[in-house]
Amino acid sequence: MNIIDISPMSLAMGYILLLVPSGFMLWYRVPLIGRTAISIFRMTVQLLFVGFYLQFIFHLDNPFINIAWVLLMLAVADLSIIKGIGVRKGRFMMPLLLSLFSGTAIPLLVFLWLMLQMPGVMDAQYVIPVSGMILGNCLRTDIIGLRSFYGSLRKTEREYLNRLAQGATMEEALKPYKQEAFENALSPFIASMATYGLVTLPGMMTGVILGGVDPFIAVKYQIAIMIAIFSGTAITVFSAIWLTSRKSFDLYGMLDREIFVQ
Amino acid sequence: MKYDTVPDIEMNSLFLSFGSKKVLDNFSLRVYPGMKVLIRGRSGAGKTSLFNCLLGFVRPQRGEIFIKGKKLSPSSIWEIRQKLAFVAQEPDLGTGKVREVIERPFSYKANRYLSGNLGKLQEMWDLFLLDTTLLEKDIRSLSGGEKQRAAIVLALLLDRPVLLLDEASSALDRDSKQAVSDYLRKCEDRTILAISHDEEWASCCDSKIDLLEGKAVSGK
Repeated sequence: MNIIDISPMSLAMGYILLLVPSGFMLWYRVPLIGRTAISIFRMTVQLLFVGFYLQFIFHLDNPFINIAWVLLMLAVADLSIIKGIGVRKGRFMMPLLLSLFSGTAIPLLVFLWLMLQMPGVMDAQYVIPVSGMILGNCLRTDIIGLRSFYGSLRKTEREYLNRLAQGATMEEALKPYKQEAFENALSPFIASMATYGLVTLPGMMTGVILGGVDPFIAVKYQIAIMIAIFSGTAITVFSAIWLTSRKSFDLYGMLDREIFVQ
Repeated sequence: MKYDTVPDIEMNSLFLSFGSKKVLDNFSLRVYPGMKVLIRGRSGAGKTSLFNCLLGFVRPQRGEIFIKGKKLSPSSIWEIRQKLAFVAQEPDLGTGKVREVIERPFSYKANRYLSGNLGKLQEMWDLFLLDTTLLEKDIRSLSGGEKQRAAIVLALLLDRPVLLLDEASSALDRDSKQAVSDYLRKCEDRTILAISHDEEWASCCDSKIDLLEGKAVSGK
């Protein structure tokens, strides 16, 4: 690949560019200087750490280590969702892990097996970045979907009870909340997908082009990954709501408020 | 009244508390088919909790509930709810146009066989002095009294043998209250358990129960 490497010195020079937003913030006294500094520091350290770690993993390219890495990412995403929606770990950990696993594994295997037709499925160079991209989006979508589902249910619980009193089954009474949750969770990605190529050049495609690959190949990769991400997020959010709702209601159809941290 | 038959509602020695607050204390009641029972009591006396127990929304710590002879349990509650129609003081009927809100429960599997009753909607609407144009309006734009009457119409169209009315006419004007109570008085086969402070109700009920701190202190 004919990519130009960035030396540590050159990368450090890039930070000079940060003087511009910092200058604006100081001039207008925007109270974001501290947070910006912390964020930039964290972003740098975390990415450097991941860079070193991935270099090591790519060097080993052991399928078991690759699987372990993906499982670690799934576990971290699981805990982030639990924290993001404010529920107790006990009952949500396994259903969410299962939903994240299916939402990541199914599109990943389709992407690698059917689209790329790779002989070795667990090749670190493909598995780790692609699963990371899918999982990152699944995490975001899951938080939006689950927050919407449980948030609306708590806010309009009397409406839900009224449906039960009218003879609805739990599935019938929960249907509007599920519809709303799926809509809220999937809409942002659907909207951004429609602008790709016109308004934005997505990150993966940009990376592949910078790597010296023909733009048309990059576009094909981007299309494949967009389909994989969208399918993965949909699988995750549908299964997360389905699996967690089985654990969140008692046999009378009442929402168990003990599932929430507050 | 059919006192020789199985009661529509039977509550035996119910005890319910939230923390240290006793809500129902050894409360028992039998309501036979066709009876109209009025429950009165101060706010916090346990009236609404009683309905919540009947609907399986709250479970008493002690005691048993039978609806039409069937013991309330996790397996029977789904069938029991199909015997009851509940109208709340501030009905939360969902969102959308009034007509959609009224038609929605008839799309539930348990109520599909009743969808023919929607043919009586206009007649009931007129009977309860509701303006026909309201049917095409957003449910949120209705006044409290209009919502209450819409909820009562819906409960009647669902044709349940037992009606649970929780201050269901509190926001109605005198004429509307009269129209509703006149209609319900004529429903001889329907069992009604009503929480109300309205005089119109008192006159059309066979029996009255005063609740004080979860206990029936008087009744006739």
